[in-house]
Amino acid sequence: MSELLVPFEYSYMLRAMWVSALVGGLCAFLSAYLMLKGWSLMGDALAHSVVPGVAVAYLLQLPFAAGAFFAGMIAAFGMWGIRQVTPLKEDAVIGVVFTAFFAAGLFIVSLYPIPVDVQTIVLGNILGIADEDAVQVIVVAALAFAILLVIWKDLMLVFFDESHARAVGLNPAALKVLFFALLSASAVTALQTVGAALVIATVITPGATAYLLTDRFHRLLVLSVAIGASTGFVGAYISYFVDGATGGVIVTLQTLVFLTAFLFAPKHGLIAARQRSRAAGGALQP
Amino acid sequence: MTAIWDFFALPLSFPFMQRALFVALLVGAVSAVLSCYLVLKGWSLMGDAISHAVLPGVVLAYVVSLPLSAGAFAAGLACATLTGYLKENSRIREDTVMGIVFSGMFGFGLVLFTKVETEEHLNHILFGNLLGVTDSELTEIVIVSAIVLIAVLIRRRDLLLYCFDQQHARAIGLPVGWLYYGLLALLSLAIVASLKAVGIILVVAMLVAPGATAYLVSSRFERMLVIAMLVAIGSSVAGTLLSFHLDAATGPAIVLLQAALFATALIATRLRRNFANTAVEAAADPAAGG
Repeated sequence: MSELLVPFEYSYMLRAMWVSALVGGLCAFLSAYLMLKGWSLMGDALAHSVVPGVAVAYLLQLPFAAGAFFAGMIAAFGMWGIRQVTPLKEDAVIGVVFTAFFAAGLFIVSLYPIPVDVQTIVLGNILGIADEDAVQVIVVAALAFAILLVIWKDLMLVFFDESHARAVGLNPAALKVLFFALLSASAVTALQTVGAALVIATVITPGATAYLLTDRFHRLLVLSVAIGASTGFVGAYISYFVDGATGGVIVTLQTLVFLTAFLFAPKHGLIAARQRSRAAGGALQP
Repeated sequence: MTAIWDFFALPLSFPFMQRALFVALLVGAVSAVLSCYLVLKGWSLMGDAISHAVLPGVVLAYVVSLPLSAGAFAAGLACATLTGYLKENSRIREDTVMGIVFSGMFGFGLVLFTKVETEEHLNHILFGNLLGVTDSELTEIVIVSAIVLIAVLIRRRDLLLYCFDQQHARAIGLPVGWLYYGLLALLSLAIVASLKAVGIILVVAMLVAPGATAYLVSSRFERMLVIAMLVAIGSSVAGTLLSFHLDAATGPAIVLLQAALFATALIATRLRRNFANTAVEAAADPAAGG
């Protein structure tokens, strides 16, 4: 029994659990918008695109968050710009741009070795995070969270009823840019917990799970943040017992929660749907 | 002149470089052919999904000592099938479901990897290890590539029609279901073959960039195929040689060159269109005046 409490005795474990919960909650907040808008793969693309920024920042000994954020915004504008001038489908444009950025990151790292292992960037390493990096994550995440709490309603209006948003005097273009800036920022923080390769899960899976459980947007937000934060906390806790792969554990947990909701959700779950159709079929018989 | 000669001759005097170059060429060609179909079908990110999803398959195959390719292939197909099933039975959009499934499988693969003692390096699976391809891996890559190329060659017309206009393909009686799973299987195989060269995360570049570049340059499919092949083969050869001389990572070098060719094609087609527009306006002006 006392073995289960061991992780709480180490300060690095406590920090990992709380930071993972904070980052998980932040990404989950954004996931509610991303998955309803069909922008799921933008999260993945941004997470990979920030890698060259991280590499260069470590190389020049700048704060990693600044470099990553800068690279993410360039990539987002790059995708948007190329999309405007070519007949290519959006997914192809996203695919070309983010792989080019990611490759540039790996290329730079292979030429000029940085103090951080590439694997740390791609897979995250919250258990071994440096103090100053942890501070950056907490500051960025707290700031992004605060902004979201202020503008969540405006974002909802802009994304789901743009003409109404315009009518009440909101600026949709500015809010969309702000949203992608927030997404880049959350990708930067998630880089430390789950790593570039798994950021996509944290910015879509909690939202999709919540979407199976409720029909109201504000409830969806609350549920999603709760799922993201709790899987982050518990995932970091469990990773103590499996010796690492914190990102893998967090994402596996989120996927399991999603599959549970897929099967057992009261209204939109598979079993409920089966029972409804059986009841409907039974009612038709004389 | 000798400098240029040395650029090619020096690396090629090493057997491991000859082999790396051969693998890069082959993998580049195979993924280039598929990329043309994927770009038309709008499946660019399907490659991303399947390539991540193969990780647990690779680890499990290692545990039961099957060929890693077999595990990867099975996991890739499982990802595509599961995505289809979850999408059919829930109200969640396809792209979201795809993201959930592949990231879940990748995350699970990572957890498995830490629990299994393997001789495989995670870095090699993630980023490729073109310079360290072994004999048995080489045989595997050649066989898998040959299967994909031959299959595409035999069904190239049907696949094209399916990618371009699924309704029409169904209407004239093509087996659409088989084509769907066939293309998925070919995609999984191509990813299995490319893993060695560029690794899980950059495979998607090989499966998108050549086709996207060719699509910008040509609107005829045969020409698109040829251009995509040239782009892929050119960047594979140049990237491998360049990485040797710069002592840089091979996979990223290849992908960066492909991206550079894409950017060049983008700029060139834009400029040509601008010239064409000015020419049309110039030709129209006197007519308007008269």
